[in-house]
Amino acid sequence: MEWFKNIYEWLLSLFWSTELDITLLGLQNAGKTSLLKAICGSDFTPDSIPTVGFAMKRVKVGRVTLKCWDLGGQPRFRSMWERYCRGVNAVVFILDSADPSTFDTAKTELHSLLEKESMEGIPLLVLGNKNDIADAIPVDKVIQTLGLKEITDREVSCYSISVKEANNLSAVLKWLIANRKT
Amino acid sequence: MSALSYKKNDDIESGALDKMTVYQECQRAFAESPINARKCRKLLAKLIHLLTIGETFSEFEATGLFIAVSKLFPHKDPSLRQIVYLAIKELVPLSNNDVIMVTSSITRDVQGSSDLIYKPNAIRALARVIDGSFVQGIERLMKTAIVDRHTSVSSAALVSAYHLLPIAKDTIRRWAAEVQEAVTSQKNFPAVTLPNYAPGPAVLAPYHALSLLYELRAHDRMALIKLIQQFSGASAHLQSPNANVMLIRFIAKAANDGAHRQQLVALLERYLGHKSDMVALEAAKAVLTLRDVSPKEAASAIESLRAFLASPRTIARFAAIRILNRFAMTNPGAVAVCNAEIQPLITDSNRSIATYAITALLKTGNEASVDKLVTQISGFMSDITDEFRIVVIDAVRSLALKFHAKKSTMLQFFGNTLRNDGGSAQYKAAVVAALFDMIRYVPDCRDTALGILCEFIEDCEYTEIVVSVLHTLGQEGPAAANPTVYIRYIYNRIVLENAFIRAAAVSALAKFALVDDTSVKKSVKVLLERSLEDETDEVRDRAVIALKLLESGDQAQAKAYISPESRFSLPILEHKLALYVTGSGADFDTPFDMSSVPLITDQEAREAALKAHRETTEATPVVNGGAGGPTPASAAAATTANLASKSNSHEAAIQRAEKYAAELAAIPDLAAFGTPLKSSLAVALTESETEFVVTAIKHIFPSHVVLQYDVHNTLPDAQLSNVSVVASIEDDSEELVEEFILPVDELGPDSHGTVYVALEKTEDHLAVASFENILKFTLHDINKTTGEVSEDGDEDEYQIENLVLGAGDYLEGGFIGSFDHLWDELANTEAVDTATLSEYKGLEEAVQFLISQLSLTPLESSDEVTSASTHTLKLFGKTLTGEKVIVQIKMAASQRTGVVVQCKARSGDEEVAELVAGFVGSL
Repeated sequence: MEWFKNIYEWLLSLFWSTELDITLLGLQNAGKTSLLKAICGSDFTPDSIPTVGFAMKRVKVGRVTLKCWDLGGQPRFRSMWERYCRGVNAVVFILDSADPSTFDTAKTELHSLLEKESMEGIPLLVLGNKNDIADAIPVDKVIQTLGLKEITDREVSCYSISVKEANNLSAVLKWLIANRKT
Repeated sequence: MSALSYKKNDDIESGALDKMTVYQECQRAFAESPINARKCRKLLAKLIHLLTIGETFSEFEATGLFIAVSKLFPHKDPSLRQIVYLAIKELVPLSNNDVIMVTSSITRDVQGSSDLIYKPNAIRALARVIDGSFVQGIERLMKTAIVDRHTSVSSAALVSAYHLLPIAKDTIRRWAAEVQEAVTSQKNFPAVTLPNYAPGPAVLAPYHALSLLYELRAHDRMALIKLIQQFSGASAHLQSPNANVMLIRFIAKAANDGAHRQQLVALLERYLGHKSDMVALEAAKAVLTLRDVSPKEAASAIESLRAFLASPRTIARFAAIRILNRFAMTNPGAVAVCNAEIQPLITDSNRSIATYAITALLKTGNEASVDKLVTQISGFMSDITDEFRIVVIDAVRSLALKFHAKKSTMLQFFGNTLRNDGGSAQYKAAVVAALFDMIRYVPDCRDTALGILCEFIEDCEYTEIVVSVLHTLGQEGPAAANPTVYIRYIYNRIVLENAFIRAAAVSALAKFALVDDTSVKKSVKVLLERSLEDETDEVRDRAVIALKLLESGDQAQAKAYISPESRFSLPILEHKLALYVTGSGADFDTPFDMSSVPLITDQEAREAALKAHRETTEATPVVNGGAGGPTPASAAAATTANLASKSNSHEAAIQRAEKYAAELAAIPDLAAFGTPLKSSLAVALTESETEFVVTAIKHIFPSHVVLQYDVHNTLPDAQLSNVSVVASIEDDSEELVEEFILPVDELGPDSHGTVYVALEKTEDHLAVASFENILKFTLHDINKTTGEVSEDGDEDEYQIENLVLGAGDYLEGGFIGSFDHLWDELANTEAVDTATLSEYKGLEEAVQFLISQLSLTPLESSDEVTSASTHTLKLFGKTLTGEKVIVQIKMAASQRTGVVVQCKARSGDEEVAELVAGFVGSL
């Protein structure tokens, strides 16, 4: 009966599967590419090449396919973020919570992006990465430093995670699947 | 475009492919989920089509398209991915800021398995999107791709590296080891290939690798020689014929550049026996196109080409005969050994081969072999089509002009071809034109040729040809030994033919009445009187005017009207009339001034025609590669294009002169000098990138010289005022006295102005001088923020280069049929001078320099240098006052001293001869 079940699953997936567009943003070295790799199930590698432009990966979670646009975080690419956020189902903003020197820039970049008209109503998930490092700030501090309370026109969530230790990653996936703007 | 193909493309060219529709459809379809690969491919094809036919998108649209296209990246369909890469490459120039975004995505495809179909496309696209700073980032990827076992991947990487050279030469230089490996390695095509696609042997990657390696080493001669030795040796295993052809070109270039010539030529000779046709042919071509190839070197190459002439492969035969044909232009003697092999090719089924064979034979033919050749040609004239016959006739025509001694054979040949039935009007016209040429340029064949023509018009169905023959009969007949013979033929036309021919015949007949023989005069008058009753008014009118003129008894007047010696220059007349008609209405108050149109004597017109004819027939024959050979349409197109370019350059010269004249006439002070006799081309007096760019034009007036300095202020933040040029004559000669300067009052930033310096010629002869020029001006700074010009400026001077007013400025080119004839005629007044042109190492450059300096016309193709060491340049022209000048310049080149020239100038005016020789001596 195994094959029958397979066919049933396949038929289900044919009619019920959904594809979600997700954009991963954040300053350089925040851990966007690593997060994407971790969600796909690969092991963590400490040194990865900076993303030039964007990379794209599909992740299958149950009957949902996540199309993840991993955008480069270097200053020259930031002006391009908005274009790749148009019409996506959710935006994930990642912060290196162990590097206070980046906080100010991250806040400015995030807010200037959210002000754009095309971004209206797109749910935002903020992730404070690298919580395995001792200096990392906790989640409420992240909310405070990025001024997330000021954002009222959309659904905003914030988690503290560690890609390296795989902390809280399942919560991230759950949020992504549950919060979809249709 | 023919009606058929137009219809086929109609859909794609017209409304169906609207730019904006495609743009919007792309935006929509590429954002769809899931993506419809087939639809997207079609859309991308439309987009690429639009871009290749020259449609452009605004920066905003291009960026939008680019983002949309980049969303197709994750799709797995290989064909879609390939076309995505093609589209990205096309979009790169339109949206340069955003292309960098796809770098990571492309890089991932390049990293992927080498069996991916679109991997080569990805590599090529990657090279287009990255900038110099990223090249290092992809270094490892590219190195791996270069040594990839698949040829398409390797080729893509090599070609990409080639294109990256300008922005990252140093990085790419580090890939030399990999590139070197790619030259000799054997590669395959990927196992996964498209259906219905059978890959040939992998020949391209080594070819690309070798080209890249050459680029990396081209600047270093020793490295280059090493490269050549490394890959030309027997142990090099360079299998790809393409790469071998490339290597041969490198060897030939290195051999032409100087040292090691002997070894390199020996290498080339080894390739003559290569098993691949294309390599052997390329080697032969390389040897024969070497600079000053020695007869010994050429012999072996010609020998190998000779073998190819009998090859069963059309391409090999074509290539061989083409190379031989070209070599025959400069070295007919050396090719003559192949004549036995070339002759059968005249009847080759491929017309291009046959045409080359004929032209080659005609060039190699010497006086002795002409008879045989012409007999042979007559043998197959009836087997070939008309357009091809015309080519043959033209070739024989130039041969006839070359070998005067063979005129009887030629006349017989042309007579026979005219006598044979059939043939189109163009073909008959070509033969008739050839006979006209012989009458004019080959002595002592007028009577026979006219006889042939008379016989021909007795039975010719083409009105135009009969008319032109009648005209020639009228021109040449009266001067023939026995003019009365032709009168009967001409009168027959009046009796038998249509009105056009009758009118032409009446005109021709009238010319016979000018012969100094009363009985002839009387009979012509009787004949003309009969035409007074003709039914067509044009015929009657011509007869009436001719009779009136003849009866008036004024022989000179009759001659001037019936057989004028000169006529108006038609192109100039047409141009002037067009100007008159299109000009403002006020111009119509004054009648058109015929005196402004120059008269051309028959002699001059013939010389110009002969020159034009020589240029068209002696130029390298360009034959379409296809089997069709030259069609009349393409030949006609080539001729008209040639004529058009000639009349264009002529027209351009007239227009330039008129533009200058108008500009000068607009300035009251200069208008008083009259119209300029000659205006020189612009001479640059500064480098083009200096702060103030100055060019000068010399205008020669009857008694004045005006120097026009065009000054360009390139400074963005400075305004000049009171700009003038101080032109002081170097050797204090008093032939020219400065009359006044017209300065530029104000010259804003980045703007042009013109300073005129007027000089008076104190003596009535050709004043030469060298002017030392200093640009004087007052410089005012402009405040960058407010744009205000500061009140007080600094006076400043700027040294610019000297301007030479030389003999060339008083000369104009001209053309005569025979250099030697005039040279001997003017033997009494000769001036000689010598000079060393040390800055010229090659004779070609020196010849071009001399021609441009003297502005005379080279005769007898003496502007083409055939030897590396010595050359004789023959020039002819006139001074602005119409004095003939003929110049012979003997030149010898040496590596050490440059080009040494000895100039002998002869002219009717001794002073002119001395001036010209002295001018060359002072160069």
